[in-house]
Amino acid sequence: MTAGYRSPKAPAVRSGPRLGPVFVAEYRLLLRSVCTKGRLIAITMLAGLSVLTAVAIALADPFDPVFRGVGFVNGNIATLIPVAVLVFGAAVLGDLIDDGSLVYLWLRPVPSWIHVLAAWLATVTIVVPLVLVPVVASTLFIDTSGSLLAPAALGGFVAVAAYGGLFVTLGVRFKRALPWGLVYILIWEGFIAAAGKTATKLAVRSYVRSILGSMTDTHLKLGEFSLGVGIVVPLLVAAAALAYASRRLAKTDVA
Amino acid sequence: MTAVAAAPEVPMIEADRASKWFGDVVAVSDVSFRIGPGVTALLGPNGAGKSTLLRMLCGLTPPDRGAVRILGADPRRDISVRAQIGIVPQQEAMFEALTAFEFVRLAALLHGVEDPAGAARWALDLVELDHADHRSTTTYSKGMKQRVKVAQALVNDPAVVVLDEPLTGLDPRQRGHLIELFGRLGQQGRCVIVSSHVLDEVERFGSRVLVVAQGRLAATGDFRAIRDLMDDRPHRIRVRTDRLREVATELISSPGVLAVRLEPAAAGRAGAVIVDTTDAPLFRRSVAAAAQRADATLLEVAPLDDDLDSVFRYLVGR
Repeated sequence: MTAGYRSPKAPAVRSGPRLGPVFVAEYRLLLRSVCTKGRLIAITMLAGLSVLTAVAIALADPFDPVFRGVGFVNGNIATLIPVAVLVFGAAVLGDLIDDGSLVYLWLRPVPSWIHVLAAWLATVTIVVPLVLVPVVASTLFIDTSGSLLAPAALGGFVAVAAYGGLFVTLGVRFKRALPWGLVYILIWEGFIAAAGKTATKLAVRSYVRSILGSMTDTHLKLGEFSLGVGIVVPLLVAAAALAYASRRLAKTDVA
Repeated sequence: MTAVAAAPEVPMIEADRASKWFGDVVAVSDVSFRIGPGVTALLGPNGAGKSTLLRMLCGLTPPDRGAVRILGADPRRDISVRAQIGIVPQQEAMFEALTAFEFVRLAALLHGVEDPAGAARWALDLVELDHADHRSTTTYSKGMKQRVKVAQALVNDPAVVVLDEPLTGLDPRQRGHLIELFGRLGQQGRCVIVSSHVLDEVERFGSRVLVVAQGRLAATGDFRAIRDLMDDRPHRIRVRTDRLREVATELISSPGVLAVRLEPAAAGRAGAVIVDTTDAPLFRRSVAAAAQRADATLLEVAPLDDDLDSVFRYLVGR
């Protein structure tokens, strides 16, 4: 179709872009774009605060380190990790939608799931080293045996993946994704999830607590699911959210 | 709507009764047109619906009613047709973290260009930007950013080029360069649609216009032909001569002449008779005879209101 329009010096175009290199290029772009100095400093400071909290817990009470360590990880999974994922995940595509630069990704022969998956991976890539690794490593201050490392790493990663899916979607869906995300984290997961069994099933936190509880043989409030359910359900939720975000992005009005 | 010139048989861009509204505000109303290769200027005052219409044409926003097609496909549903579209959007924002070269190379990669780096160098050369410049585009002037946007729009050698106010912020030399570039793209068979509210610019793009006013298509075609069709408005013609009164006397009795006015000589220029006529072609045929009868020399016969500015003011004001 294009042959008649091409000038002699113009570049040759394939029948369609190769999705592998396109995905990598978008992932790198989104990673660079979302890592603003302000966001990095704010989240690094929160992660530092978490490390100091672990040190304080270790110094304050040396008894029952596993129980206290699980409490520490649980606290971080309830607050620091979702907030960090929200800050980056909601912005990674949300910023492009807000300033109109999404047009440079959208008006290309590239399926929308590539944009969404690259955004999710960029979010996970930032939050894992910036927040999850310090939190997991800090458990060593509380429980020097290292028995908390695996549950904290697995639970934390599932939380990052699930919240990543939800908050990337939130950024695609809402103009003011940050307050909506905070409402979800603080109000829904913080209070409403404890109100009944149905609400408990609709909170990522419940599943991640189940992973921690199952792997450390401790009982955590709301953590009533098996290890398998604790892992699989949040990942399915993330996948469903990303599928919705892809569909939504394909149909969105682009500035 | 005033329509002039036959629609192309195989349209590259087609709008079929397309409408778009935002809440109670009708941004584009029942717009239909077909355009083929060449440069077409989309003209209208600020807020007339030009950008919304361009966004609809590219598939960036769906029409609430009607349909748009590019190269026969719906750009919203058929993502493969997007490989044939190059767009310069109105908004200034680009990917801040990237250099101009990285930005244009990314566009090439996403379009499936075989050698993205080579294509990026080619496109940046077209707009006279240095592909070895390692600065982020955030440090660029508005004019340089516009040229980067044009480069990314052309990097895939698209069949359809959509340009929303592409000359904003450019200096006169760069404006001239890009106008010449767009003209060349049109001559090569691409469909180039350029929106602007600056009439001088539009006149330089060519004579084919789509005039949008208050969301409706007010006219489409060659603006000079559009002017000729405006029968309800007299044509104004200046006749510069050495014998003003005598020529004016002859002209006032010519068929189709509604009024004459004398413009005295000034600043070394001969005086002129300003004539309002309902039939410009007839007047042009009769003016020489009138001058002969008055024993006068005709120095100039020039239309005063068949420029784009005049056509535009008439169309958007009626």
